[in-house]
Amino acid sequence: MKDQMLKIENLHAEVDGKEILKGLSLAVEAGEIHALMGPNGAGKSTLGYVLGGRPGYEVTEGSVTYDGEDLLAMAPDERAAKGLFLGFQYPVEIPGVSNVQFLRTAVNAQRRARGEGEISAGDFLRIARDQADALDISMDMMKRPVNVGFSGGEKKRNEMVQMGIIDPRLAVLDETDSGLDIDALRIVGAGINRIMRKPDRAVLLITHYQRLLDIVVPDFVHVLTAGRIVRSGGAELAHELEREGYLNMADA
Amino acid sequence: MTLLALPSARDEAWRWSDLSALPALAERKPSGAPPHDLPWLGCAGPKLAFVDGQPVWQEALEPLAIGQVNIPPSDHALGRLVGKHGWKLKLGTDHAPAGLVQIIHVTTGGADHLPAKIVLESDAQASVIETFIGTGWINRLSTITLAKGARLMIARRLLADGGFVSLTDRAEIGEGASLTVTTLAAGQADSRLDGEIRLTGDAAFAEAGGALLARGRQRHDANLVVRHDGIGGMSRQVWRSVADDQATCSIAARVEVARDAQKSDGEQSLRGLLLARTATINVKPELEIFADDVKCAHGATVGELDADALFYLMSRGVPGEEAKALLTGAFVAGAIDRIGDEAVREAAHADATRWLGGAS
Repeated sequence: MKDQMLKIENLHAEVDGKEILKGLSLAVEAGEIHALMGPNGAGKSTLGYVLGGRPGYEVTEGSVTYDGEDLLAMAPDERAAKGLFLGFQYPVEIPGVSNVQFLRTAVNAQRRARGEGEISAGDFLRIARDQADALDISMDMMKRPVNVGFSGGEKKRNEMVQMGIIDPRLAVLDETDSGLDIDALRIVGAGINRIMRKPDRAVLLITHYQRLLDIVVPDFVHVLTAGRIVRSGGAELAHELEREGYLNMADA
Repeated sequence: MTLLALPSARDEAWRWSDLSALPALAERKPSGAPPHDLPWLGCAGPKLAFVDGQPVWQEALEPLAIGQVNIPPSDHALGRLVGKHGWKLKLGTDHAPAGLVQIIHVTTGGADHLPAKIVLESDAQASVIETFIGTGWINRLSTITLAKGARLMIARRLLADGGFVSLTDRAEIGEGASLTVTTLAAGQADSRLDGEIRLTGDAAFAEAGGALLARGRQRHDANLVVRHDGIGGMSRQVWRSVADDQATCSIAARVEVARDAQKSDGEQSLRGLLLARTATINVKPELEIFADDVKCAHGATVGELDADALFYLMSRGVPGEEAKALLTGAFVAGAIDRIGDEAVREAAHADATRWLGGAS
């Protein structure tokens, strides 16, 4: 049996007292890429935030384990240090903090939490430059405040630069494809494959459309409707959804 | 020390100040033992240190001087307490000191009151940094006169471990001259800062601002008036306040534009950041404009750390406390980054970082 990296069982979660996730179960193993699709309001982003540990997203029932540990008991920064990366649908602007300063602080905090030594400034800049180059982000942009003045596409590519530098084991990517033109979509998709398509890594790709899945071909596709997974299948399920929509999914 | 006559909180200009600790500080005997290492910056230039109001250390003093200081009597409640002896900086036409002028004021527990007089003749320029440390009450009254085209930069670091620091400035800025005063309060003393800056010549420039950081039961209180008398003057007041625990930061900043001071350009940015719901920040921007062709803008806000930004940082592995320090530091940098001298700016950043308890 392979390592079960992420195991979600009967997850119920609410936001502002309103139940959004209503008994969601899902298992992701190392080496797998899972796509989670579904209509607006189904709870896709809520799942991402619950996994990331965002305040205000309250789990009322069920469990989530990561490498056998209780993920929900960990603070957001502890989850990151254990290898979880949450890609934001709307990356946050942070005036006054440069990308480089932010990421070096993050990488060193994660290394400290794992009992590793801090990375030198030179080594960090080399890694940052390699990752930024691969995603067509200039070092000039890396020195600017986090996401401030970035276009929607640049913010999404910046998320992938961060993922490349942080080098996580499990990436939960929330609509990383939204707001991207076709060229940017290719660059971002290639980034996900390059960084995460490895036997010891896994990805949960939350998406609305099938376009990204032509580039990052998933091993499994799940359909989320009204807080529950109503259907699961292989990559072909995404194409079926594209043709027929979400409406007829619940009866499968 | 004789009886102190202090203003009460009923006086509008003193409503946010708590001077109740001053009588006891005024009675206290200083220990007279200064720290071994004084926080000098590694820069060339005149250096002068006062301990309990006495000049005890000096290096390459010229053009700084110590001794009798003749300044007009002040009616300011704290400024009027200063005596006749203090320090002077007088620069002739086109002169500039070799390097940064550094003055350190140390209090070992009592109270000391000193006047200072800075006079810059035409086109002279100087960069001054004053650092305040110790545990008593340091009280200063400074008069600044800048002739045509003179340029003066003053940075102040309030790093005292306790007690009180009160600084009162009176400045007159001549035609085309420029004054920048930046204050960073990043210690544990309470403070009261008063400034009255007059742009007397045409096309004069004044900037008065800084960052006030407070925690525990600390109080900082800044009161500034910038008055445009000449034509085409420009002024900037950029303040960032951070208050945690039960601390209070207050800023009253006023721009006055006289009837004939056309084409004046005044801007105020007063922003506060509350790190706890029990802390207090008061901001009071005021404009009093009698000319009709002026540009004056003011912004005043008080808020908390952005929860989205905090979660974003934490989701990348930055622990909560470090994330807060990073965001608070970025907020404070809005004021500190305006310091032009790189060594001084770096020192101020380091002071703020130390206060925030984070390693950058």
